[in-house]
Amino acid sequence: MRVRSIPPWLLLLLPAFAVMAAVILLPLIFSLYSSFTPYKLTRPSTLWRWIGTFNYEKILADWKFWAAFGRTVLFLTIALNVQLVLGLIVALLVNQVTWGQRGLRTILMFPMMFSPILVGFQFKFIFNDNVGLVNNALQALGMTDVALPWLVDGKLALFSILFAEIWMSTSVFAILILAGLFAMPRDPLEAARVDGCTAWQCFRHITLPFLMPFIWIAMTIRSLDVARAYDIVQIMTGGGPARRTELLWTLMARTGYVDARMGVANAMGYVAILLSILFTIYFFHKLNAARSDLGMVV
Amino acid sequence: MRKHRICLSLLTGCLAAFAAGPITASEWGSHEGVVIEAKLIGGQQYEGLYARIADWEAATGAKVEIISKKSHFEIDKEIKSDMAAGTTDWCVGSNHSSFAPQYEGLYVDLEGLVPADVIGEFVPGNIRASTVGGELLMLPRAHFDVSVLYYLKSNYEDAERAKAFEAEYGYPLAVPDTWQQFKDQAIFFADPPNFYGTQYAGKDEAIVGRFYEMVVAEGGNFLDEDRRPIFNSEAGQRALQWFVDLYQAKAVPAGTLSYVWDELGQGFASGTVALNLDWPGWAGFFNDPESSKAAGNVGVAVQPMGSVTRTGWSGHHGFSVTNECANKEAAVSLVMFLTSEESQMAESAGGSLPTRSAVWQANVAAAESGDDAYRAEALKAFAAGAEYAFAVPPIPEWGESTNLVFPELQTAIVGDKTVKEALDDAAEAVDELMREAGYY
Repeated sequence: MRVRSIPPWLLLLLPAFAVMAAVILLPLIFSLYSSFTPYKLTRPSTLWRWIGTFNYEKILADWKFWAAFGRTVLFLTIALNVQLVLGLIVALLVNQVTWGQRGLRTILMFPMMFSPILVGFQFKFIFNDNVGLVNNALQALGMTDVALPWLVDGKLALFSILFAEIWMSTSVFAILILAGLFAMPRDPLEAARVDGCTAWQCFRHITLPFLMPFIWIAMTIRSLDVARAYDIVQIMTGGGPARRTELLWTLMARTGYVDARMGVANAMGYVAILLSILFTIYFFHKLNAARSDLGMVV
Repeated sequence: MRKHRICLSLLTGCLAAFAAGPITASEWGSHEGVVIEAKLIGGQQYEGLYARIADWEAATGAKVEIISKKSHFEIDKEIKSDMAAGTTDWCVGSNHSSFAPQYEGLYVDLEGLVPADVIGEFVPGNIRASTVGGELLMLPRAHFDVSVLYYLKSNYEDAERAKAFEAEYGYPLAVPDTWQQFKDQAIFFADPPNFYGTQYAGKDEAIVGRFYEMVVAEGGNFLDEDRRPIFNSEAGQRALQWFVDLYQAKAVPAGTLSYVWDELGQGFASGTVALNLDWPGWAGFFNDPESSKAAGNVGVAVQPMGSVTRTGWSGHHGFSVTNECANKEAAVSLVMFLTSEESQMAESAGGSLPTRSAVWQANVAAAESGDDAYRAEALKAFAAGAEYAFAVPPIPEWGESTNLVFPELQTAIVGDKTVKEALDDAAEAVDELMREAGYY
């Protein structure tokens, strides 16, 4: 009897499948399983106690979790939109530069090269109420004689964290949009100018539609990143004070690593994934719409 | 002839034994070729002791490999990950009385491994705080912490200011002896944003510990005997109100809610804070002109008292031996060496507080006979402060409960909730935690 041999294509792909399973699938299954247990890092035996959906019921009824969830959505929305607008402006300006553009593009990428931890420390110092640069500058200029609590007041603290996040990642948008500008055909723009379109009309009806697929791709990538915001927030405010800057990942990290309640933290993680999935579906839907507007096959 | 040969053999044996004495009869034992892996707390104030490890290595023939050296909060996370992964075959770990109850089953009971007379040489209170569930989980090192009051002396030397204070508050201006006086003076001295009356740790276990000691000072407690939260009592409300009043009066920096120990220490050393409740380890730093603008102007006094008593939330560092350690004998020897009288004398010379009775006495005697008035004043305050010291509840849930409580304390301080609302919400969350943990 002849044993059917494994097809060569499958044989070649098997190592890749094995690696993927080891580094992605198994940890996913493990974390999903542990979210149905009272798993505590300091009590490994708790990993084998099945408690069903207790962790999920607990967090779904916990207003602190939903407050962090809502704050993360707000943070994500503001950060993405501001980064998009600033990135678009920077890309359009850099695109106009005819001399030294390559150097400018390199400089543009500098903030991306910093570790988020370093950026967090940098802005924690800048916004420090006592010795920070911002308060010292404002006081030296006579604009205020009080120490503004940048990292304490709810709105100011969220603004400070957003500022750091936007400073670090706007260039991602700028670079991706710049790539879109380079890929854009020149003919429609020139034809529009010949037909007497203003600069705004050219931008609104020709440049922007061409850039939209790039913008939605940038939005998708950045939404996944920003939804996992942790380092900067942890360094600058630790999610406080009074949970005013608590985002999903600072809450999850504290629950999992400080309180050692990894089962609950993993359950939070799976609920949080919904946020990323929703944003990704929305952005892909918009990407497909933008591509079909341009007559591309979706 | 035969008798002569026996005598010669005995003499030779005795000489050989004498010659080998420094190694084989070493009080730390001989552990030739043994490698002890250690995870130790890192930081400037802890490093001096680690320099002595070379002496233990020379005496025993063993080698110490420090596989991790981080702040205790980082070490804590690493140890928890090790426990989860089952990689706990390293031997010696830094420990702390507030953290020790969390590491169930990780560390060996030192009671049977360390001679009873050695254990008897430590301050009994420190040994009690190192014992969890009847097991002695660590030997204390010379880093006992209980807060005392550091203050800028110049604030009490200005007659005009003293007069103004007395006119406003109705009693003479002197170093505060009660929390009420402390609050009055902090508000009186404050001139934000240039000068603040005081500051306090505003997050994590740090603020909860401070709140805890003030609740006790007001006659209440954090948990009852069944581990039910009772800090939302009237005593608790009075304690939290103290934090709220100082914050609302702008007597503390607005950023104080993000401060922990380093920020507090640096803040007082900047000379812009009048009153500072802080740990003994900072004493030398505060009065050193190289590190502190307040140097020469620092006074140290026992911590103020509440409306009922004087209290001091305390803790201490120590060293533990893991159950999985392959060579516990050598590891215990290292831990005994690091906590020995000689080690504590060396470590406490830097300003930290010892946990051995004899070293306490030696330090006090040296300070009294020496010409360092500041050191003598500080040691006197520490000794007085230590009398009121108490450790946190020895339960694994202590750390987690502080994570539930501190954001609620902050909500009251920044005015998002009333003191009662915040404490009731915190108590409800801790109650749920204790129920889930099976205490009642």
